[in-house]
Amino acid sequence: MSHGDINPAAVPLVGNDVQGDDRWISQHYRFLLDCKDKEPDVLFVGDSMVQLLQQYEIWQELFSPLHALNFGIGGDTTCNVLWRLQNGELENIKPKVIVLWIGTNNHGNTVEEVAGGVMAIVKVVNSLQPQAKVIVMGLMPRGERPNPLREKNERINQLLRVWLPRLPGVQLLDVDSGFVHSDGLISRHDMFDFLHLTAAGYAKVCRPLHELIMQLLEETPEEKQVTLA
Amino acid sequence: MSDGEQNPAAIPTAMPDTQGDGRWMSLHNHFMTSSKDKEPEVVFIGDSNVQLLHQFEIWRELFSPLHALNFGGVGDGTQHVLWRLENGELKHIKPKIIVLWVGTYNQGHSAEQIAGGIEAIVASLGKSQVQAKVIVLALLPRGKNPNPLRERNMRVNELLAKTLPSKPNAILLNVDPGFVHSDGTISHHDMYDYLHLTRHGYARVCQTLHRTLLQLMDGRVKTTEQ
Ligand SMILES: [Ca+2]
Repeated sequence: MSHGDINPAAVPLVGNDVQGDDRWISQHYRFLLDCKDKEPDVLFVGDSMVQLLQQYEIWQELFSPLHALNFGIGGDTTCNVLWRLQNGELENIKPKVIVLWIGTNNHGNTVEEVAGGVMAIVKVVNSLQPQAKVIVMGLMPRGERPNPLREKNERINQLLRVWLPRLPGVQLLDVDSGFVHSDGLISRHDMFDFLHLTAAGYAKVCRPLHELIMQLLEETPEEKQVTLA
Repeated sequence: MSDGEQNPAAIPTAMPDTQGDGRWMSLHNHFMTSSKDKEPEVVFIGDSNVQLLHQFEIWRELFSPLHALNFGGVGDGTQHVLWRLENGELKHIKPKIIVLWVGTYNQGHSAEQIAGGIEAIVASLGKSQVQAKVIVLALLPRGKNPNPLRERNMRVNELLAKTLPSKPNAILLNVDPGFVHSDGTISHHDMYDYLHLTRHGYARVCQTLHRTLLQLMDGRVKTTEQ
């Protein structure tokens, strides 16, 4: 990137149909239909961390009432999300808040590339949905024991802390609320496979997220106009 | 299978740690540990369809009362489950029933190879868990629209329907309530990503499974349940 090279984590890519059942594109088409049929105030975009959230009660409790849509696809990288957002998933809707959670699956990319990929996505969101406030979720630690991917995700977060403030209307939400215990271990009570969150794990993450979304929704000027009218 | 040695789906294989966080082996070690101090009547073993079931209320409703353990893995194929079994996950326990649900993740394997892999697991359990009945769950359809993997899974089920009845320790159970609609599609209300089940999908699948478990456990469990 520093040499003017293209960042491979910022290149839009169709999801790889490795398994051969076309599930990725089927989900993308479903999201496009959602955009036509629905008027979300909040949009979640990302990988399985986003997708799985919708399967738990807490989604119905905290986020469904906010008119939220969930565009999470398991295994997605920054490249896949970039492709989806540039191919219709931000059309026909005008959300007030967009939550982005992506990057832990970018296995082929360096720390700088992944952070750059997240930046590229936020730029696309800013240009297609200029009214929307963007919340970038910090990447979670992963693996039962200390391992290179944990360090990688933490370094991506460090870069995002520095880089994201350069963009308008975006903030990083650090949600690692003590998932790594003092002995360096992550518990299956929080992450059932040491990557994906349990209901208890999501509860820890979603309370601060919900608070922030509520705060941003209240700050939205459009909302005030409606009240005054 | 006469060519069992050649079947990659029937060769015990540890999942390579391609991502680099060692999660698969961590889970295996957890299953090893959790089996040491428990006396489960039922053990579920398989892939993420097994594991995800553990995350929903229905597990606590229907299966926890049966003293069930959940050894669902991460993207496991038959060869990976075989490795886990041959490396001690059931060493300290003697469950009455083992629910096996695996095969849809067997990347690049033919239906014949996958069925052979499942038969190899059943045979392995026949030696190491002589007291246990194995409920082999038939593979579910997958993908929103008709696709080769759906056909492959259905073919696996056909093959198992021919071979499993002759195995004294196993039964094949098809828990598909009809996920494929008349227009050939699967709904995201049942499978949120057209592979993994939603709570609603699990509710439909688990009724049949739970009934079968109770029947196999001879009604004795009902008292434990209350
Ligand atoms: Ca719309």
